Amino acid sequence: MTLRVAPPALGVRQELRAGNGQPGWFVVAEQECRDLWTSGRGLILLFLFSVLLSAVTYLTSTNQALNFLEQRESVNLVLQFAVAVGVLATLVVSADGISGERERGTMETLLVTPVARRSIIIGKLIAALTLWFATFLISIPYVWVLGREVGILGLALALGFCVGTLLAVGLGSIGLLISAACNSNKTSIAASILLLLILFAPTQLPSGLPQGWFFEVLLRANPVASGLAYISALLVEGHSWTQDLSYLITPLLTAIIGAGALIFAGPQLVRLTRGVNAG
Amino acid sequence: MTTITVEAVELTKHFGVHGAVENVSFSASQGEIMGLLGPNGAGKTTTIRLLTTVLKPNGGEFSIAGHPSTAATEIRRCVGVLPESSGYPSHQTGAEYLRFFARLYGLNRSQARGLSDELLAAVGLEQRGRSRISTYSRGMRQRLGIARALVNDPAVVFLDEPTLGLDPAGQAQVLDIIRSVVSAGDATVVLSTHLLPEVEQICSKVVILNRGRVVVSGSVGEVIGTAVIEHSAHLRVPLHLVERARQVLTNFPGLTIDQIEGQPDLLRIAIEAPGTASGAPPTDAMNAGLAAITAAGIPVLRFELEGARLSDAFLKMTSEAVA
Repeated sequence: MTLRVAPPALGVRQELRAGNGQPGWFVVAEQECRDLWTSGRGLILLFLFSVLLSAVTYLTSTNQALNFLEQRESVNLVLQFAVAVGVLATLVVSADGISGERERGTMETLLVTPVARRSIIIGKLIAALTLWFATFLISIPYVWVLGREVGILGLALALGFCVGTLLAVGLGSIGLLISAACNSNKTSIAASILLLLILFAPTQLPSGLPQGWFFEVLLRANPVASGLAYISALLVEGHSWTQDLSYLITPLLTAIIGAGALIFAGPQLVRLTRGVNAG
Repeated sequence: MTTITVEAVELTKHFGVHGAVENVSFSASQGEIMGLLGPNGAGKTTTIRLLTTVLKPNGGEFSIAGHPSTAATEIRRCVGVLPESSGYPSHQTGAEYLRFFARLYGLNRSQARGLSDELLAAVGLEQRGRSRISTYSRGMRQRLGIARALVNDPAVVFLDEPTLGLDPAGQAQVLDIIRSVVSAGDATVVLSTHLLPEVEQICSKVVILNRGRVVVSGSVGEVIGTAVIEHSAHLRVPLHLVERARQVLTNFPGLTIDQIEGQPDLLRIAIEAPGTASGAPPTDAMNAGLAAITAAGIPVLRFELEGARLSDAFLKMTSEAVA
């Protein structure tokens, strides 16, 4: 077999020199989305999410039939579950972003392209967020089944989308930061899941957090707990959306600081290995 | 006029207290295939990573295709790289993989599709472009990696151990592609490899690194000459003619003939010292001896020159540096 490499056509060569195509972050995000959804990883996570959500919805609706749970509480419970697990899935995917590339040996080929490191990390965050949006879409019919009769469907969906998106952006960014700090994918994913469990734990206490200023500070400092507390305040206690807006400060700050850290520290984070002084 | 496309000046890289590359300087010109040689841990991969802006040097300067080391994005736009032990996304097809990289260099979808088809054909993968990379053999993956390194029509191509783990046929295919890269355009190829006979065949220039330092650089002939190697050869003749061959060769001044133990049909011919044969170059004595053997009607079954190969120079240079 004789192999011959010919230079590309002049037009293609000019485009290659100019680099006028779509922005790098867009190409990376598109490819990452394709990898996530066509490799089956995203679909498996989505399937597991639907199974869990079905089980939770079934349990809450049967409890509701036995009058153990108010219908508003059922909606709140299912929505909180959907947000927490959707954010967890986003975190798992983002935790694979940098360390996964290093482990698979594909990082160097990405680093030698002219795409800015910042664009690479932004593209990866966008792709991870698609998983959150997909889980949210899946949860809509479940919330509809439980909430249609009490007139809180629109509110529940708007709340779930806003709070969940803030948490997904914030924790997805933190997942990528953890991933950048790890050479091993297992370490990165384990650390990210542990972080979410720590943040999610206070919401799972049988009677919530104890009363007192210390626990109030603890609740408000935790983006997951305070975000979910905001959902509860509106859905269960019937507060107006402005009344407990302070609960959203931490999720909002987490999203801004997390995404900001990614964008500004991106060039230092996307390296061949953790700690190597890369260009 | 030759244009220098790769120039490294006093390039240094430390990982903590460990010096991976120390004051490395060399250059390569347009259309040249430069072999970057050295034992494991010599600093070849680190040098390539410095020149491709993956790592930042602690000292020194370099330029690629006229771009200084500070212009990292411009350098990345004009280099193609096949990293050592490069990984591949196994669920993607070869065509998808190349299209992605073509788009990262600024091509639109249709241009990227056209270019990926051309490159797949150029590396002999046109029939397998729609198959998942997970189904590719190691040789096919290496060829795909080379195609990816060529996706931006690079001015300089860095190939780090492109033949590692390939069978002889796979190695030959990869070397064939490397030759065609240079003959098709004006690219410079920097080739890091352990296949020294192949380097002798295809490289116009060689840089030997050891323990992070350049121990010798120049053309293959210059590098062999720098090593100051004692020239010798192995001559195999039919067993019943060994004694006659020995008699013929003994008449030549400057040649020493020895029987190789355990191999009665093999003679070792050594040039005693450079320039001892009445002022003539030492290889002249060897050539004259060989001509006399054939003139005497002794069939030469094998004649292999020792000490005048790149591998001998390589071993000598790297072992001297260790000592």
